[in-house]
Amino acid sequence: MTRIGLKKAATPNIPTASTADIAFLLIIFFMVSTHFRTEKGLKINLPRAEMTERILKRRNVAAIWIDATGRMTVQDNWVNPSTITALMSEKVIENPEIVVLLQADKDVKYGFVTDVLEALKDARALKVTFATSYGKGGG
Amino acid sequence: MALSLRPRGRGAAQPNIPTASMGDIAFLIIIFFMTTSIFSREKGLKIVLPEKGAETKIKSENILTVAVNQTGQVLIGERVVNIPEVSTLVREEIEKNPSLAVALRVSRKAPYQVMIEVFDQLKIAKAERISLMPVQEEEGGGQ
Repeated sequence: MTRIGLKKAATPNIPTASTADIAFLLIIFFMVSTHFRTEKGLKINLPRAEMTERILKRRNVAAIWIDATGRMTVQDNWVNPSTITALMSEKVIENPEIVVLLQADKDVKYGFVTDVLEALKDARALKVTFATSYGKGGG
Repeated sequence: MALSLRPRGRGAAQPNIPTASMGDIAFLIIIFFMTTSIFSREKGLKIVLPEKGAETKIKSENILTVAVNQTGQVLIGERVVNIPEVSTLVREEIEKNPSLAVALRVSRKAPYQVMIEVFDQLKIAKAERISLMPVQEEEGGGQ
């Protein structure tokens, strides 16, 4: 009876030299895609929308948070529409490409939102995005 | 003249950097970044607001008004419609008249969710010209 491979079983060998390279590649991916959250924001439930798009240039984003009762914050400071105008006009001067991300709760009265929009028009911050989460129909 | 740094002669030992644990270290860092990273949640519906004072005049026959009233009902012209119907109706109107601009009038008391849903429907209908009209009603009990 002849057996195949009876000579002397070669020690199994998994090349591990490149795992570090792969791991560092993944690190670089995570470092690039990550960003540390700098503001806490408010507790809100975003409205859902089907045509939700991603904002590509994250560095150009300034967020305004509006919670369900209509309180507003920018960078964790309480604001109202007139202070928004002052704050945002500064930001527009610094960076004309700025996109304002309006993080508003789905149950807030639209009046608060339209006041903010008017304030942004006064501040000439004309690029606005309504933050939504992707999903069909109302939640 | 050979200026060699290597000690000649007594069988120079191969320099050896242990790399076996490099992968472990790298994966440790990966785990750190994975747990701390927040994938950009910055998603939403884009709009470009008109400049103050630069409002363009549009002929009234080229305006389609979509309104949302206080209770969250949606009206196109005078008709009450369901939100999912808005996209098909608006698309039909745009096909009839490609230079149509859609004016979205939302009551100050309407919930934001309804406004976003209608705005979403307008985006689905590929309406290019959407304007959000500020409504200054019912602040002091109706005007």
